Order: sequence, then structure tokens, then C-alpha cells
Amino acid sequence: MSDVARTTEVASVDSPALVKPKRRARSTKAMIDRYKWYEVAALYLGIALFLFFVLAPFIEGFLVSLKPLAQLFSRPYSFIPKNGSFDAYVDMWTSVPMLGMYIFNSFFISTVVTLIVITIVVPAAYAFARFNFAGAGVLLGLFLAVNMFSGAVLLIPLFRLMRGLGLLNTYWAMIVPGAAFLIPSSIWLLRTYMMRIPKELDEAAWADGASRLYTLRRVILPLAMPGVVVVAIMTFIGAYAQQFIFALTFNSKTEFMPLPVGLFAFFGKQEVLWNELMAASFIGILPVMIVIVFLQRYLVAGLTAGAVKH
Amino acid sequence: MSQLSLKHLEKSFNEARIIKGIDLEVSHGEFVVFVGPSGCGKSTLLRMIAGLEDVTEGEIAIGGKVVNDLPPVQRGIAMVFQSYALYPHMTVYENIAFPLRVEKLPNAEVEKRVMAAAKVLQLEPRLQHRPGMLSGGQRQRVAIGRAIVRQPEIFLFDEPLSNLDAALRSEMRIELMELHKRLGSTMIYVTHDQVEAMTMADKIVVLDAGTISQIGSPLQLYHKPDNLFVAGFIGSPKMNFIAGTVSSADGTTIAVDMGKLGTITLPRSAKVGAGQAVTVGIRPEHLQLGEGDFTLSITPRIVEHLGIHTVIYSTLPGGENFIGLFEGDPKVSDEAPVTLGFARDQVHLFDGAGQAVY
Repeated sequence: MSDVARTTEVASVDSPALVKPKRRARSTKAMIDRYKWYEVAALYLGIALFLFFVLAPFIEGFLVSLKPLAQLFSRPYSFIPKNGSFDAYVDMWTSVPMLGMYIFNSFFISTVVTLIVITIVVPAAYAFARFNFAGAGVLLGLFLAVNMFSGAVLLIPLFRLMRGLGLLNTYWAMIVPGAAFLIPSSIWLLRTYMMRIPKELDEAAWADGASRLYTLRRVILPLAMPGVVVVAIMTFIGAYAQQFIFALTFNSKTEFMPLPVGLFAFFGKQEVLWNELMAASFIGILPVMIVIVFLQRYLVAGLTAGAVKH
Repeated sequence: MSQLSLKHLEKSFNEARIIKGIDLEVSHGEFVVFVGPSGCGKSTLLRMIAGLEDVTEGEIAIGGKVVNDLPPVQRGIAMVFQSYALYPHMTVYENIAFPLRVEKLPNAEVEKRVMAAAKVLQLEPRLQHRPGMLSGGQRQRVAIGRAIVRQPEIFLFDEPLSNLDAALRSEMRIELMELHKRLGSTMIYVTHDQVEAMTMADKIVVLDAGTISQIGSPLQLYHKPDNLFVAGFIGSPKMNFIAGTVSSADGTTIAVDMGKLGTITLPRSAKVGAGQAVTVGIRPEHLQLGEGDFTLSITPRIVEHLGIHTVIYSTLPGGENFIGLFEGDPKVSDEAPVTLGFARDQVHLFDGAGQAVY
């Protein structure tokens, strides 16, 4: 809607330009969004620089995965692979036969963690955003405190807990602590998002006879969807990243190992298959990429526009 | 029997008393307007009737039944919010149908009622649109539609027109009054705009700092304000107030000394002691150019020519602002002294506590 308003506004701003036939094309952008060519160039240069910084390890990793193993130790080292090939992407499945299982485990653990977190966080965040109850502030403070400990600090007590519950060497040994560490920050995130949804919507629904749960399901949840998606993405990535330490400590069964631990299988007694390791890493993060691409379609901003007039 | 009755209603947030004992009877089909300046508790009072706020003390009865502890839906009310509170992710149709979906009515019935409401509110071509695509007035109508489909006993409106521009506001005002005529249901309407109150209400409740200042029909409030607050709040431009002291009172007349302006003798039977401070009130529109029962001379600071009216603003010797409103386009200009007069029976008199003296 605002776009329509903007174009019409711009059209009227630009109309004097019609008098000057020299100008090639009328910019349809608002004045504030117009740049000189060198400003645009500088912008893209900045972006390129930043992206190179962030992506350099990935670029090098990808190049390594294309090289034959011998070339990796050649001197002088060449970054560009000579007679590069995708052989590593084929060979890795035979070098480490369980690779598919590891990738599946990683994906499976992260998915279950995400589902658990979302199931718990949505009602919890709604409660913290809307209800007044004793201890709400203290609880939120505690959640923040939990985040100050990384899982690594609590490994020993967690190990005893897992053993006590009989969860060692199961998927649950990686899922439960994974979810537990991700829930507090997700509650904070989604609570903030839900607090931005006007309270009048709850009141209107309540006045029309809707229960709190009905309101959550029919009114709040659809509007909080972008927030839920952000939480889902963060949780999925978080679960993917942190499973290494839990898998290493709480699980010794090869068939339950996630990819980060499974990659150790490429570390042979004699040599490390770096090129295949890199290839496996790339295939391993593919599921995450797919999930993010899929989920970001739901990151529709501005859905609350028109709910109430401010 | 009255349909809604409030008895000694009180509301406190922690220590702050917002509503300080309200008694009110509303009968079936009445259009009642709560009016008052911001912070007077009018919205809180409405929300208490709606069931969105707890009652600290007192009793709310609808149709003879005490509803203090009932949720809104069981009170038979429907509320229209100032901010519309439409669900942005639902179509207009689903927005209006929301209360019926909550009730789990069969689809055919939902459609029948939504279409009926849409027809009344002229929303039929908009039913499949989202609220974000509608204009302010249309959104307001959707909010009203959502209230209508429930077929409530009492409609509650919380400043429903304050988000609209002036032209649309007067249009919607007419629509609401027509709606009230057609439905014949009780409506309670909160506003800070005294023009809305005067034009729409059967009964105005003027609220001031959590208490009822006066209840009455628009013309009662206009002609016989009980106190200074109501006198100053109702009417636009505001009533002129002139401070004075009683110089004599004989049981039929009261003479008030207004300092440099002179002494005015008013027909009042009340017994007021000489020397008491009082306030004389005269509405701008009751002034006339030329001499009257009482005559004074002023110099306008500003003159507004509205075509239909001419308004002059000036300052009295005592420092009070003094406004005059005249029909048409008389010859007055700023900084040129004019002689004004008014009739004795148009004058209001208030005692030191701000209560009207008759």
C-alpha cells in the first residue's frame, strides 16, 4: 500500500523533469533512495568486502573439496585447483559409509529440538507477554542467567543427570539438553515480538467470547508467525551447532552420531581426507540451507499493518 | 426497569482511585454518552461495564442481573474499540464473523448474519479484502459490523471516531445515529468531544475526575449546567466566566459586583450572603452587538470570520478571556472597541464552590 503511495508521490515530484528532455529515464525511486553511480559502486564494494570476509573460509573449503588430496600439500600452495573435480563428493560416501546416517542424525536431532522448542516457547512467550503473574520478572531474569552458561560448563552435572534418567546413548541425550539450552532465549525473543501485537486484539477477542487459547491460536499466532519463524531458524541453527559437544559426551553409539562428530571418521590413522571432509561438510550444511530457504518465505513483515491505527 | 444500572461503582489501580462512586441508570434503547476531559475515567468506566476491567467496589447490573464477575460475552454486550482492533490477517468477512465462529454457529447462519451486517454497513464489496486495504471509515464500519452480528443488548463504543478526520467523523456520526434508530438497542458511547456528545446523545453523563458531574439531556446540560465544570465543558466556544462578589441578595434578586465591569442584578431566589465570591457565566452566542440588559465595552484582540459566524476574542479588565459569537458577518474588527450586551435571563451564576445558584 505504501508503495503505491510512494510511486504516486514520486510521480508528482518528478513531473517538472518532463520539461527537461535530456534526462534519460525518470527514476521511480524516492529522493531519499537515489544515489550517484559512484555511491552505488562504493556500496557494492563495501558489501563485496564484507561478504569476502565472512565467506572466505567457505570459499577455501569449497576449493579444497575440488582438489585431489596430493595437491593440498603442494608447495607453493595454489588456491585455484588444477584439474579440479567433484570426485571427493562421490568418494566420501565409500570412505565413510555411515555419512548419510550422520547427516540424517544431525537433521533429525535439530528438527526434533526445533519442534520441541516451538511447542513450548509459543504458549510460554504468550503467557509472559500478556499475563500478569507473580514471579514473571524473576523467571525472565533466570532465563537470561541460564544463557550465561554454555552447555560446556554444565557437562558434568548434565552427564550425571542423563545417566540418572537413563538417556545416555540415545537420541534424547542430544535432543533434551539441546532444547533446554535454546528455550530461554527463544522465550525472550518471541515475548518481545508478541508484545508488539496490540493488546486490543486480545481484548476484542475476549469481549467476543474467545478463550485465551482460542485467541492465541486464531489471532496471536498468525500475527506472530514472522517471529515464530525467526525463533525456528535460530533454534535449528543453534541445535545444529551445539550438538557436537552433547554428542561427544552423552553418546557413544556410532549410529546416533550427528555429522560434526561423524566427520571425525575422515581422520584416518595415516592421513586426513581433507578434500572429502570438506565435501562432506558442504553436503552436511545443505539441509540447514534448505530449511532456511523454505522458512524465510514465511518471514512476511508488516503483517500487523492495519490492525490498529496509531 | 432500567437495562443497565451502576451502583456506587468504584475502581482503583493500586492506590489511585480512578472511579469514585458512580451511580447511573440506563433504560432500554437509550443512547448514552460519557463525556469528559482525558483522564476523567470515562474509558475505564466503559471497560468496567464491558468486563475488561475488574470492579473494585459497587455493582453493575444488566437486565436486573448483577454481572460483576461475568466475562464480557455473558453480559450481552459488544464493544467497538477506539483503535478498531481488527484482525489484520483475516478478511473483512472473517473479521465480522469472528464472534460467530467463536460461538461455533453453522456456516449458513454465519453467512446470513455477516451478509446482513455487511448490507447495513455497506461493506458488501469489501468482504474479501483485508483490513489493511480499507480506509479509516471502512475499518470503523468493520469494527461495528463485528459488534452487530452478535446481536447484543448493549453496544459499547470507546471513542470510535477519534481516529477519523473531521469530515469523515461527522459522516460516521450520522451513520451511527441511523444505526441506533434502526437497531433500537442501547448504546453507550465514550468521547472527549462535546460536539459528538451534544449531537448524538439522548442522555449525556459528564464525568470529571472519576465522579459524575451532571447527567441530563444535551439541552438540559446546555441551558442548566449544575456547575462550573459542566458549564465550561459543554458548548463551543466555551462559556465566558467573570469573577465577582455578591453585593446584596434580597431573596428575589442577587446583585453581583464585577469590579470594573460594574454591577449586574440577577433574578435569583437563593440565599447568598453579601461578600461571597461568585462566578458569572455568559455564553459567547448569547452576546449581542449593541446594548442589552447589561452592557459592556471591549476591544477584540482577534476576529475570526467564518461566514456563518463571527467570533471575537478579547481580554476583560480582570484578565479573563472573553469570547463573543455573532451570527453572520457584522462589522467588527480587531483593536476597534465594540459595545456588547446580553439578556439577564441568559446569565448563569455559580457560587464559590462552583455550584449553580438559582
